[in-house]
Amino acid sequence: MKRRSLFALVFAVLCLQGPMQASTAEAEQQLRKAVDEVLSIADRESDKGKLAEAVRPALMRNISFETMTRRAVGPGWKLFSAAQQKQATQLFTTLVIRTYSSKFTPGERPVMSYQAAVSPAAGRVDVPTKLVYKGSRYSVTYRMEQAGSWKIVDVVIEGVSMIANYRSQLDSQFKSGGAASVIKSLEQSVARPS
Amino acid sequence: MKKPTSLLFALASSVVLLSHCATKPQPEAAAGPKTAATTSEATDELDDYAVVQVSDPLEPLNRATFKLNDGLYSYLFKPVSKTYETVTPRPVRRGLDNAFENIKFPVRFVNSALQGKFDRAGKEVGKFGLNTIAGVGGLFKKSDEIPALADVSAEDTAQTFAEWGLGQGPYVVLPLLGPSTVRDAVGLAGDYALNPANWGFAAQGSVRDLAWIPSLANNIRLMPDQFSRYDESKANAVDPYVSVRSVYYQNRKALEEQ
Repeated sequence: MKRRSLFALVFAVLCLQGPMQASTAEAEQQLRKAVDEVLSIADRESDKGKLAEAVRPALMRNISFETMTRRAVGPGWKLFSAAQQKQATQLFTTLVIRTYSSKFTPGERPVMSYQAAVSPAAGRVDVPTKLVYKGSRYSVTYRMEQAGSWKIVDVVIEGVSMIANYRSQLDSQFKSGGAASVIKSLEQSVARPS
Repeated sequence: MKKPTSLLFALASSVVLLSHCATKPQPEAAAGPKTAATTSEATDELDDYAVVQVSDPLEPLNRATFKLNDGLYSYLFKPVSKTYETVTPRPVRRGLDNAFENIKFPVRFVNSALQGKFDRAGKEVGKFGLNTIAGVGGLFKKSDEIPALADVSAEDTAQTFAEWGLGQGPYVVLPLLGPSTVRDAVGLAGDYALNPANWGFAAQGSVRDLAWIPSLANNIRLMPDQFSRYDESKANAVDPYVSVRSVYYQNRKALEEQ
């Protein structure tokens, strides 16, 4: 009995491995392309104030901001009107781009090494990387999902997920004042000089 | 000699105390494949960011301390940190960081061993030996050039408590030191006691004999990195207090799992 289930398991793994490897490789390749693109833009831009705008188009192509915003807001998202969802997505996009670009210092090029990507669920791939930046080592995991092409849906730095972090903040905003409160708090964050 | 003994006693008694009032910690908005994707909290089938409330019964007090700390950082400690960065060239700061991290070897070694991670404890010995001898007393981090030694996860006392199954207790914002939990605060005391940079000061306890210098230098050299992390958790936040708390819980959870 045991042997048969073991055989079934081994067989299932063998069957799964083909397409799984293809998708992880595809996701990783897409990520490398995206990272190289953003880094080369960041490398050319010496003015830190203009960096967010400079990298914006490249990030728009490679990040799924709709997915990010929906998950950052949490279960309350379903109670947003279409207009509110659109507005929240626009505000959150600006916030994410700013958060991301604020991590760069002009003239400092990070060195990234990619580690074996894993696929925790169908249509999802996590790519762990090691980053050496200004002499310090960081572990950064990119979470990617397939929606047509592969897109980044979260960045986890030293175990800290950007989306989980916003979820904890926005979920409590929703609970205290609904969609209006979430949008207002996002507006305030965007208006605040970074 | 009196000081370390009493510190050790305080540490031991708080561990006993903690284990009695241990409550299982609840990680905040955990990101990881283990969390169920199909709870009512999920926004779609791949969403695994279910928000779990952290234990923060002292929130009003914590928020007040958070605000106080923020003021102290801005007006007192950040200027110190900036001055340190201005007067010390980067290679020197790098060397000091490396040396102090190297000296901290007992913290990592003892806690790796206490968690039964003997392989890791062995690697720590290798790192310490290599960096001390080939790295001129730890000024250069030679171990980074060896892949097997470059990413040894640093263990600390709070992680040992977690490994032993001690509950985290409530979230606390400590004056000056910032975010922690009751358990992790006791862990900090353990790290302090195990760090040779503090031994001179802890043993003498007198300001006159200059034994406080390594301990103070260690705290100053840590500032730029700590403030840049703190500022990053605060920047672009909707609620900085919640953001810093979330970053704390997520980061500690990741360290405990390694």
